[in-house]
Amino acid sequence: MSVQTNDKPKVSLRAFLAKYSVLIAFAAIVIFFAVASPTFLTPANLFNVLVNNVVMLAIVALGLTIVISSGGIDLSVGVSVDMASMVFVMLLAAGYSGVVGVGGGLGAALVVGILNAILITRLNISPFLATLGVLFIGQSAQQLATSGGQPIYLTSGYAGDQFNAIARTALLGIPTPVIVLILCALAVHFLLHRSVFGRYVQAMGAQPGVAWYSGIRVPRELSLVHVLCALLAGVTGILLSATVKSYVPLSGNAFLLDAIGATFIGTTLSRERKPSVIGTLLGVFLLAIVKNGLLLVGWNFYWQQVGIGVLVFLVLAASFGLRRAAH
Amino acid sequence: MQTAKREIAVSMTDISKRFGPVRALENANLEIARGSILGLVGQNGAGKSTIIKVLAGIIKPDSGTIVINGETVSSLTPASVEKLGVHFIHQDRLLVPTATVGEAVFLGHEIGLGPFVSRRAMARKAADLLKRFFGMELPAGTLVKDLTTAQQKVVQITRALAQKASVLVLDEPTAALVKREVDSLFDVLRRLRDDGIAVVFISHYMQEIEKLCDRVTVMRNGTDVGTVDPRETSIDEIISMMIARDVGEMFPKRSVTLGAPVLEVANLRLGGSFENIGFNVRAGEIVGLTGLLGSGAKEIVQCLFGLKTADGGSIKVEGKQLALSTPVKAVRDGIAMLPEDRRAHGVALGLSVRENISLASLRRYSKNGLVSRGSENQAVDGLIKELSIKTPHRDALVRELSGGNQQKVAIAKWLSCQSRVYVLDEPTVAVDVGAKVEIYNLLNRLAGEGAAILLLSSDLLELVGVCDRVLVVYRGRLAGTFSGPSMNSDALLAASSGARSNADGVAA
Repeated sequence: MSVQTNDKPKVSLRAFLAKYSVLIAFAAIVIFFAVASPTFLTPANLFNVLVNNVVMLAIVALGLTIVISSGGIDLSVGVSVDMASMVFVMLLAAGYSGVVGVGGGLGAALVVGILNAILITRLNISPFLATLGVLFIGQSAQQLATSGGQPIYLTSGYAGDQFNAIARTALLGIPTPVIVLILCALAVHFLLHRSVFGRYVQAMGAQPGVAWYSGIRVPRELSLVHVLCALLAGVTGILLSATVKSYVPLSGNAFLLDAIGATFIGTTLSRERKPSVIGTLLGVFLLAIVKNGLLLVGWNFYWQQVGIGVLVFLVLAASFGLRRAAH
Repeated sequence: MQTAKREIAVSMTDISKRFGPVRALENANLEIARGSILGLVGQNGAGKSTIIKVLAGIIKPDSGTIVINGETVSSLTPASVEKLGVHFIHQDRLLVPTATVGEAVFLGHEIGLGPFVSRRAMARKAADLLKRFFGMELPAGTLVKDLTTAQQKVVQITRALAQKASVLVLDEPTAALVKREVDSLFDVLRRLRDDGIAVVFISHYMQEIEKLCDRVTVMRNGTDVGTVDPRETSIDEIISMMIARDVGEMFPKRSVTLGAPVLEVANLRLGGSFENIGFNVRAGEIVGLTGLLGSGAKEIVQCLFGLKTADGGSIKVEGKQLALSTPVKAVRDGIAMLPEDRRAHGVALGLSVRENISLASLRRYSKNGLVSRGSENQAVDGLIKELSIKTPHRDALVRELSGGNQQKVAIAKWLSCQSRVYVLDEPTVAVDVGAKVEIYNLLNRLAGEGAAILLLSSDLLELVGVCDRVLVVYRGRLAGTFSGPSMNSDALLAASSGARSNADGVAA
């Protein structure tokens, strides 16, 4: 009984297209906008896309990548973003130092993550319903805390100015938020694709029963998954507040659908449709570039949403359809 | 009126087809002669339906030649095959229920002028054909759904004949028919044979094959193992051609010296399931456990792996008292479990062979929480070789492996853990005979290396063939322990059903 050798999958054109549909779409879109808009490929515009459209969405999507890998979902990432943002801004506005502000903000996101973890692993509520409930509660809580959704602004003189400065400066030519993203992406990449924890996450995602029967502490690992996701969303919340010098209630929700979309676009890179850090980042770049490009060529905001919907549909359909045909 | 010289209508030579790693057909041959009824038999998975689907143009073979009416055909499609005069009566492919007999007979070949279909012409012609071939007076306006199953088969055959079929393949045509209808179908088929048509008859019913067919081709493991005349060869001989090996070879013999007790269970009790369960499994020993559904045998095994928590009693592994409340603890204490539902609990189909094998023992291959791929690969490759797991490479998905090889991956996972106690829950359900033997060999080897093995099985022959000792559970209590000459399937069955108890005495 020898190991068979003639079983390598044949690389057909279709399989190739299926595998790299995201990259091909990416290249095509870049070329399209480069031709359609003279400002698209300028460094200033690309810098703007990176800092304003990519970084914050990408960090939220990294968290969702972990959750979706484990076979779950977190609909409450927006709440984690908002809670971190709210507590961060409130603490700074009350005169506390930046360290306290960041700690408090991340702590607030942690609370959301722990709440999710308890609902899912202790009360055995499905991740979809548990995080949906937390989403509802979190939204109402914000409105109650801000008299119906009044933004909180950081006026001059607070530590907020320093943060705003940090958010807008660069270290060794790289904008600070981008450095934060790179650090988060590297951390999640190693965690998900190199660590023992990551293997457990993949196993839970592939077949939870097998994980349990292999002696994996599924509740513990799953709790960690949701806490990490909430913390990453919290990082985005703090970056958001530092950039716009304010807390606007319910602004985190804007990230949820884009982050889910980006993560699933990223799954087309894998034959088994598994999420990956690289895939998710590609998905985020794709969405950010489409939004920016459509804006430059003069489409209004609502048509951008249509454009993104069509894009997600096309990439997923192309990848899965071609893959099925190649099989 | 068989012609003396057998004229070949269809000849398929050296047909091979793989689905991923699974060889569905390997150098299979099929020769269909005019004026003759060929039976095609084989166990499920032997390749009967695959080779028929190849001929029907539904499956494209990887290699091989197909000659139809003296003409070599390179690529077949369902439509081109019909044009060549080869027609199929599929088991499940039914007619359009709301069509009339006339419409059904000419389905796809409607008679008419341009886009207009002449229902009257079709009805008249269909009635003619039915009368000519089968002497059947069937109003052609009758709806298909009002016909009996046998009449529907006849309509299907008539449709084939209307297209001037020279070869007719029937897949399990008698499955839904009553005796009288079978007889009249056989008359029809004999008449067609006498008219020079080549008939292929696929059936699981050996009596039908014997009664109807002029020749029988037997398939096994994706290839044809022989073609015989059923009037000269007995049914028993044909069946033995279908089965790869006889029972004696299935259970490899072994000789092993038993060591100290590894697993010691005493006074184990779970409310509503079982009580006062006590037994030992020694190093190198394979102990069977069996009982009817609801006897508590299953629950005993679940308690040993922490899937259920016993209400009382003790479980010791190598003298150490265990408190089993979850599989997490059981795995840490050296207990391995091969669950009955392999796809839900045994292997993760969407993960690679490597990821599955190392899943329960990742701590061994990691440093500071990061997996060291070098040592993992080395260990995994070693186990793939040791268990001769048939996989293209270590990163192939377990989904692509056959059932038997998936089961070997599940076993390799525990070998990687160096477990001391193996609890197996129906390990050979839904694996083919060849893989069963390999799993038995593997159990013997594990035992030979000093592991203690507890085999829960409802296959009494398997228990007798593999185990040193068999414990029978009846209504939550040990009803008997059998070994040596007293261990036979009759005794086990009697004890499981409460008819008889105790051969060697309960205490082991």
